[in-house]
Amino acid sequence: MTKVTASLRRASRPLPPDSPAALHAPLFQDLLAGLDTTGRYVILDLGAASTAMLALLGRSRCRVEIADLAHFGGIDHLNTAAPGPALADAAESLLPNRLPDDAIDLVFCWDLPNYLTLDALSALMGAIGRRVRPGALAHALIFYAGRDMKQHPGRFVPTADGQLIDLSAPGAMIAAPRYSPEDLGRSMGGFLIDRARLLGNGMQEFLLRLGS
Amino acid sequence: MFERSKKDDDSLESQDAKRTASDTTLGSLRSKVAGRGGDAAVIGRSIQINGDLRGGEDLRIEGDVSGTVELKNSALTIGKEGKVKADVYARSIAVDGETKGDLYATERVSVHVNARVQGNIIAPKVSIEEGAHFKGSIEMDPAAVEKALGKTAANGVDKPIAGHRSGNAVDTKAVPKKPAKDARTNLNPPAGTV
Repeated sequence: MTKVTASLRRASRPLPPDSPAALHAPLFQDLLAGLDTTGRYVILDLGAASTAMLALLGRSRCRVEIADLAHFGGIDHLNTAAPGPALADAAESLLPNRLPDDAIDLVFCWDLPNYLTLDALSALMGAIGRRVRPGALAHALIFYAGRDMKQHPGRFVPTADGQLIDLSAPGAMIAAPRYSPEDLGRSMGGFLIDRARLLGNGMQEFLLRLGS
Repeated sequence: MFERSKKDDDSLESQDAKRTASDTTLGSLRSKVAGRGGDAAVIGRSIQINGDLRGGEDLRIEGDVSGTVELKNSALTIGKEGKVKADVYARSIAVDGETKGDLYATERVSVHVNARVQGNIIAPKVSIEEGAHFKGSIEMDPAAVEKALGKTAANGVDKPIAGHRSGNAVDTKAVPKKPAKDARTNLNPPAGTV
């Protein structure tokens, strides 16, 4: 059995009582279901790498770009950069090089937008928008119903059936910015809201598509 | 699978203590590394190497290496104390420490818990343990991996094993015999309401 297979099977087992609950995220599941196993995709993941995620994406012919903004200091870098050219440069520096023949098809933002100011989010998504193909999709989780969120972004890992588990350690809570769809419409760098769902944990799940 | 025991640590420390800075050729670094598949050359934690490193035997790096590392038919382990700032070419690469640079392996790249890897990974099989930190790209398209690795008989690199799939192969039955198409496939999730 490969390590990946083992990881997936662990993820699909019933969870122990103290484990975080699996989150049913239907738009995420739809995205995975839409990946053609023979298709070639370039995927940008703003979160941390996980073997389970790679295993799911590995069913297709993918190249996965992992930015891991939370661990490699990207969030502070963006939030503290002065608006204007410095912020644009900061966003560019956090992303992979632009490859004209391999533009990005799909972006996983997870809950990172909640941890960025709207200026920083706008700069980041603008830089991403210059690396994606027309019609590219972005997936994001926004704290909406609850007033608080963890101090640091989650570490989301999919189960074999496409549910999500947040493996980040519990810790201090901070106020959630509770960005509205209008906020996102102005700050997602040309990505427009395609679909949205309110999830069981109070987060709003968004699927966005790059406008023409 | 590759966890190092305290006995191994003690053994390595003892070897490091006896080694001088001039002992940096692979032949003189040969030592027994228990639990790691037998003999492997070791670059100890007090050793720094700047330049190109080439060899035809398995190697474990616990020191600092900058430049290029080429062990095309051998296994490389970057230990917990190891820091490698180089493009690395090997049959298999296991990382417990830190790397900056691209990792090319004809068989597998394994990034273990607490490892820090910045660079691109090009290998038929890749595993990244939860808790590892990785920034870069992972090519999971078999055709692109083969192209990047330059798998030809002329350069002496082994052909990929049949049935192996780039990236994280879960079900080898699902591997297409040939890449079905090079054209990009549109993502069209079912329509829904906002």
